[in-house]
Amino acid sequence: MYDAIVIGARCSGASTALLLARRGHRVLVVDRSSFPSDVISTHFLWPHGMSYLNRWGLLDEVLAVTPAHTTVEVVNDGISLTGSVPTELLHEYFRDLHGDDSGVVQSYASVRRRVLDEILVGAAAKAGAEVRTNFTVRELIVENGQVVGIRGRAVGGELVEERARIVVGADGRNSFVARALALPKYDERPRCTFAYWSYWSGFDLGPAQLHRRGRLACAVVPTNFNQNMVLVWGPSEWSREFRGDVPGNYQKALDFVSPELGEVVRTKGTREERIYGTLDQSAFLRPLHGPGWVLVGDAESAKDQCTAIGMTHAFRDAELVSVALDRWLRGDASIDEAMTAYGDRRRSQNAAAYHDYVCTLAEMRPYRHDELQLFVALRGNQQEIDRFIATHADVAPVSEFFQASNLFLLNDAAKESSADHPVFENFAETSRSYQQNLFA
Amino acid sequence: MIHQGDDTVTIELDQREDGELIGIILEAAHRRDFETMTRTATEVSEMTRNWATHIPWDDLASLEGDDDELAQVVADLTEMWEPAHLRNPVDPDEEYALDKNAYDFYRPAGCNLLTRTEDFYGWVQARRRTETWQYSRVLEAAPDSVAQITNDLGRRARGINFNSQDYLSFNTHPAIREAAARAMRDYGPHSAGSPMVLGNTRISDDLEAALGDLVGLDHVTLFPTGWAAGFGAVVGLVRQSDHILIDRLAHSCLQQGARAATRNVVRYEHLNVEAVRRHLTEIRATDTRNGILVVTDGLFSVDADWPDLVTLQRVCREHDATLLVDVAHDLGSMGPGGTGVLGMQDLLGSVDIVMGAFSKTFCSNGGFVASNSPALKQYIKMFGGSHFFSNALSPVQTAVVREATRIIRSAEGDVLRARLFTAIHALRDELTGRGLTCMGEPSPIVPLLIGNEKLARTANRLLFDRGVLAFMVEFPVTPTGSSRFRLQVQAGHRPEEAREAARIIEGAIADSRAYLSSAFGSAPR
Ligand SMILES: Cc1cc2nc3c(=O)[nH]c(=O)nc-3n(C[C@H](O)[C@H](O)[C@H](O)COP(=O)(O)OP(=O)(O)OC[C@H]3O[C@@H](n4cnc5c(N)ncnc54)[C@H](O)[C@@H]3O)c2cc1C
Ligand SMILES: Cc1ncc(COP(=O)(O)O)c(C=O)c1O
Repeated sequence: MYDAIVIGARCSGASTALLLARRGHRVLVVDRSSFPSDVISTHFLWPHGMSYLNRWGLLDEVLAVTPAHTTVEVVNDGISLTGSVPTELLHEYFRDLHGDDSGVVQSYASVRRRVLDEILVGAAAKAGAEVRTNFTVRELIVENGQVVGIRGRAVGGELVEERARIVVGADGRNSFVARALALPKYDERPRCTFAYWSYWSGFDLGPAQLHRRGRLACAVVPTNFNQNMVLVWGPSEWSREFRGDVPGNYQKALDFVSPELGEVVRTKGTREERIYGTLDQSAFLRPLHGPGWVLVGDAESAKDQCTAIGMTHAFRDAELVSVALDRWLRGDASIDEAMTAYGDRRRSQNAAAYHDYVCTLAEMRPYRHDELQLFVALRGNQQEIDRFIATHADVAPVSEFFQASNLFLLNDAAKESSADHPVFENFAETSRSYQQNLFA
Repeated sequence: MIHQGDDTVTIELDQREDGELIGIILEAAHRRDFETMTRTATEVSEMTRNWATHIPWDDLASLEGDDDELAQVVADLTEMWEPAHLRNPVDPDEEYALDKNAYDFYRPAGCNLLTRTEDFYGWVQARRRTETWQYSRVLEAAPDSVAQITNDLGRRARGINFNSQDYLSFNTHPAIREAAARAMRDYGPHSAGSPMVLGNTRISDDLEAALGDLVGLDHVTLFPTGWAAGFGAVVGLVRQSDHILIDRLAHSCLQQGARAATRNVVRYEHLNVEAVRRHLTEIRATDTRNGILVVTDGLFSVDADWPDLVTLQRVCREHDATLLVDVAHDLGSMGPGGTGVLGMQDLLGSVDIVMGAFSKTFCSNGGFVASNSPALKQYIKMFGGSHFFSNALSPVQTAVVREATRIIRSAEGDVLRARLFTAIHALRDELTGRGLTCMGEPSPIVPLLIGNEKLARTANRLLFDRGVLAFMVEFPVTPTGSSRFRLQVQAGHRPEEAREAARIIEGAIADSRAYLSSAFGSAPR
């Protein structure tokens, strides 16, 4: 009998197992994959994601093999903003959400999952969690409406049964736990992006760059093995045509969004792997918990990659749920109190506002005149650029940036005008042309 | 090839992309070509296999003979492969109406000021078509605790009325109506001009004295609206090189006044007096020559809370800053003898500048600015713009406010406020008992938190036909993501009415949450 069985051993699962084991609980964590291995993700970690790793004592191990930076350049239709997530806002984030702001770092990094997840699983084992890889859960054991354990098997092995006081579903977007319990989906937003990416050597552009033009975007971020993660994305409505010629359209999208980057990739880059892609990123929530079970990470709330936040959110869930479960396992709170505490944080107003922010961005509509003017107004106002980046990354609440008095003040404080930016010439025509599917 | 420790992982550059492979598997599945399915699956990347863990990548051959399983796998693969919106169509009007915010339209494109408003109008029309436009409803008769209204599509409704700003129910009070009728007889409906010329009457002088008495300050100036008072006071006093510290959530007339007066505006965290102290110290460290105006509401109009004015006023004095407090909502409706938040904090007569609006409790348009300085009064009259260059309050309005002030100060005022607070407590208790979140403190404003705009807009749509009139506030009144119903209670509300309304509102919120299939609650973080 374990205190907790965690299904899934990646960002959300290994972390939850690690934190529970460190608090002295008996934990079994299983995963059908073995490690090191990759999983679909472009694996960007914002500074709060890095801070979680630092809080858990794992950041140095990651940084030993992964390049990290603090400033990021965001270019929207030629309007460039460079900034970083402010430390004060990171401290505020951790104080507000976790009541403790230790371990804050301001850097971000792109960590291959084969690197990161291996470190997490290793740390969980070192903390005393029992780790079984290559182990697939086939059934949940349900008694009197309560989940009390799992049945599963290792590759080629016998079906074994394990029991625990709680089963944590950390098994991703396509969660087995959710399927087994026939859980519904809430807050669905079907429109999302298609994303295609690969790994390139041969150039080093320094900090991360995010570019957007019309309905398409691309990102170049330095990652492990001296490579760059080069990603393009666009509205899933265009995916069928994109798929007609993936390598050709990948380059075409880069050239369209940022001719400079397209040129670098074409002339200096060597592609080291196949191109990966998916368009299965529509957003939804699932019920968070029920008798004998609780969900974390993508299993409880999946959303589009366009703000690169899922892993950081998985870490956040791991901290929140392990604190809640610890109180219950110790007898300091009832399971209902513990789960309500977790649920309040995860289904809050701020979380709803951010869910909407991501889903709306994921529709990849061409930026409106208003939105581009806001980017112009931000230029030269470093404090507000940084706050905007922090808002985009879900460090600062959406409601604090997108507030009337703030937006009016930003407008009044603008140092540049649209005259300085070519996208505003013939704006109506340019916008119309952006509606054309580039790959049709 | 990538190298990692002792493991060497070989990755074929020319392997096909997973989407192509899944396409082939799906086609093969239609032909029941299990051999091709199985062979193709071996080429699917580790990335996708570890992600799409519900697909039996290694066991596709075993689907032969199990049609249900095969159909399930085909459905799951199709879901990964086809854009989700094709399976899940949405009403484009409703999507547009619910997903946009007014700020999306603040900086329109184009050189023609007339045509560039079209984009915004398109959104307004989508909101109207989906009956989620909460603005511009009209009354069909005098409102009291119940009102009959028409929305801007011409649809009628009758309901328990939390939309009137008439906290002491003066609109139907005989003495108030009598005062209006008398002024009408004595002076006629017109004010003859600007108060700087001949716009005021004897009643105006009387009113200034009575208001001064109420807030404990000797020098009062009247304005045609509360908005004009706030805007006029700020722009009248503050110059380009001065500074303004303003609560982030202070009323629009003060925010706009601040923007018009100077670029040196700091919006401090709501109610945070320590933040004010920090900002003041910072400003005074480099600038001892210019003025600083600190601006706050008394009772905040969509949050129902108020600052610690005692400390705030002291901190201002310590830094040679001037405090302005807007008591539009609390004066008359709460506090000892109707003295509002100032009276509750024992500050009558000791705040630098007090402004208010008559539109909430005093049953009329209009506003005022009060202080202990005759010089400040003359200065604001001259430079406030909205006092000098706007026609004075009409004699009828002035008389109504004069009579309202008398009742507020009388024993009857205490009775009305007691009744008002009985209704407030009934409403808050019932809402809270039903698991909803009332923000702030018991006061005539009961903000019922919703959060998400979509939820608020659909709840508002449902409420319209269910017998409660409540105003839904969203951006730009509140920050995005923290929309709410603002319920304004009146002395005339019976406690049973308040409880009935709470029940109906709860039902509308629950139904719209089910309609949107939303799992979000309204806890703040
Ligand atoms: C295209 C794309 C790009 C992305 N880019 C980023 C990014 O840049 N930054 C970011 O932060 N996030 C990104 N994300 C999101 C991020 O990848 C996910 O949020 C994150 O992987 C979720 O972690 P998790 O631990 O909850 O689930 P997963 O990483 O999906 O792990 C679930 C684990 O559960 C195991 N499992 C499932 N079923 C069973 C079973 N029955 N028995 C045993 N084990 C089982 C699986 O084998 C798997 O290892 C991206 C997502 C996509 C689709
Ligand atoms: C706090 C506050 N100040 C000022 C005003 C403006 O008052 P009026 O409506 O009388 O112009 C209002 C009302 O909208 C308010 O709520």
